[in-house]
Amino acid sequence: MTNMDTVETIQRDVTVNADPARAFRLFTAGIGSWWPTKTHSLAAEEEHAVRSVVFEERTGGRVYEVAADGTEDTWATVLAWEPPTRLVLAWKPSHRDDPPTEVEVRFSPAGSGTRVDLEHRGWERLGADAAERAESYPDGWVLVLGRFAAAVAER
Amino acid sequence: MESRDGRAGAVFVALADPTRRRVVDKLAVDGPLTGTELAGRLPVSRQAVAKHLAALETAGLVTARRSGREARYALRTAPLAQAEAWMAAIGAA
Repeated sequence: MTNMDTVETIQRDVTVNADPARAFRLFTAGIGSWWPTKTHSLAAEEEHAVRSVVFEERTGGRVYEVAADGTEDTWATVLAWEPPTRLVLAWKPSHRDDPPTEVEVRFSPAGSGTRVDLEHRGWERLGADAAERAESYPDGWVLVLGRFAAAVAER
Repeated sequence: MESRDGRAGAVFVALADPTRRRVVDKLAVDGPLTGTELAGRLPVSRQAVAKHLAALETAGLVTARRSGREARYALRTAPLAQAEAWMAAIGAA
């Protein structure tokens, strides 16, 4: 692998209007209420609807979508579960035989709200496919975190 | 993404696409429309319109309301105001 194939770690952040405990809970247990499944889900790629998204709140737990027909598709496995400050996911929301990348989300107090820092790394595991697999994520995480901030503000 | 208001970032991502800007234009001028109506007024397929509407909905720029068999999409200007406020703050700095 040459340096040109390496995708750099993607870092995105958003500040939301809730304390860290509430922000963490909404991000995880409440994921089904705000995650934009119409644009960011496996079912959407095949133009199916998603019924719910489930976040199993423990190390080793799964994050998965449930399609309208009941089909479950795993997005991630929880590698680190440290409420209300940090979580790490082994991230592989696809049907491909890829190794997972890693997504870390940190929650820290910021004024009366919470700063949410997301880091998506481990692209080197995908070898020559890294650039193609990573393509949608820089903008994708902006949309997802923006939706999260809006959902927190609406409550 | 800027920390001051992360929601502005989503607006800029959504509006980076020229077709999505045309969809926003149409909804601003013509009022709420269904996907089929939009596809009839723009040089894009019904399927492409549906994808663009979903992206705009994710960014909070449109809301869907069921009316009969098809959803009707309306523009939401609040996120635009947030993006504008962010730009104004930078411009004034």
